[in-house]
Amino acid sequence: MTGVGETLRDSAIFNLGSAVTMVIDDSSFALELTTQALMGFGIKVKYACHSAVEAMDILKESDVDLIVVDADMPGMTGFDMVRWLRRSDLDPNAYAPVILMAAHVRRKHLDQARDCGANFLVTKPFSATTLLERVVWVARDQRPFLGVGDYFGPDRRFRDGERRDGQERRSDRIRRAEFEAAKATQSSSDDAA
Amino acid sequence: MTVVTWTPRKSRLSKMIDTPGGVSVGVALAQARAHLAVLEPRSLERVAALIATLKSLVPPSAPIEIASRLEAAYQAASGVIDAAGPFERHDLCAAATSLCDVIDAIPPDTLLDWRIVQVHARAMELMLALPREATAERGKVLEGLAEVRAIKVQSAG
Repeated sequence: MTGVGETLRDSAIFNLGSAVTMVIDDSSFALELTTQALMGFGIKVKYACHSAVEAMDILKESDVDLIVVDADMPGMTGFDMVRWLRRSDLDPNAYAPVILMAAHVRRKHLDQARDCGANFLVTKPFSATTLLERVVWVARDQRPFLGVGDYFGPDRRFRDGERRDGQERRSDRIRRAEFEAAKATQSSSDDAA
Repeated sequence: MTVVTWTPRKSRLSKMIDTPGGVSVGVALAQARAHLAVLEPRSLERVAALIATLKSLVPPSAPIEIASRLEAAYQAASGVIDAAGPFERHDLCAAATSLCDVIDAIPPDTLLDWRIVQVHARAMELMLALPREATAERGKVLEGLAEVRAIKVQSAG
């Protein structure tokens, strides 16, 4: 349950109950929808903000573990807010996982969507499944942060590089290999029976 | 010379996700769907209100009004996607996305044939009124909108 677009197993367990979560959306109803979906996942939304400015004031004072922000807001957009956050030097908030949500991405915002430094852009309509997949994905996101020119944020390359020699050390890969091995064992014992 | 900084960083979220306790994916999704289901009637009310807003928008009468009127139509359509999205109303979302695409594609300060806004509003209104099982009718409406969208987006470059 780590790859982009990879389906989550129903039996997989995750624990984000103690995550300090912030949701930012200028639409009260959209804010409520996202908050309710997250609460279903066992994630309590500590900060529900109606504007980027309101969120920025909180981010300057309090540590946050997960940020879900609407891209298209009046005044400061979600893209601008994430760019500000990444360059804010606020530790740990500048490195917090950020999911951008967008009902529709305007052409003029495509570059900003790529370059603002968010971990993931979720385009609506979103289902509970899509949102959970993305939350779990950003929680397991191990990409380093890169500063290149005007960009600061997670490495935008999703493709795996060359695997280093020696034993696999990445816990997500180890878990996946163990799961695949257990599945193969189960399948062969079922065939034998 | 471009300077590249590389900061390996583990978020607190990545440390807590595998801690003991928590919830299974199946249970989490069931809970989330139950929470969202409570909001579905309000979602439909909101969609209806946004469609009414779209229908009530009159074409800009002066060049100075173009940008604000188009923005109002874009925001209403985008609001439909926001409100209808989690409830698998792909028909309404597709119609609203079509209108967003058309508005987004036209060059700034260009007057849009306002019938396009009205056609999209009426299409959404119809789909909201149709019974859930009327998939063929919905498909036809969406096909029509797709043609409009293709022509307008293509002609706008």
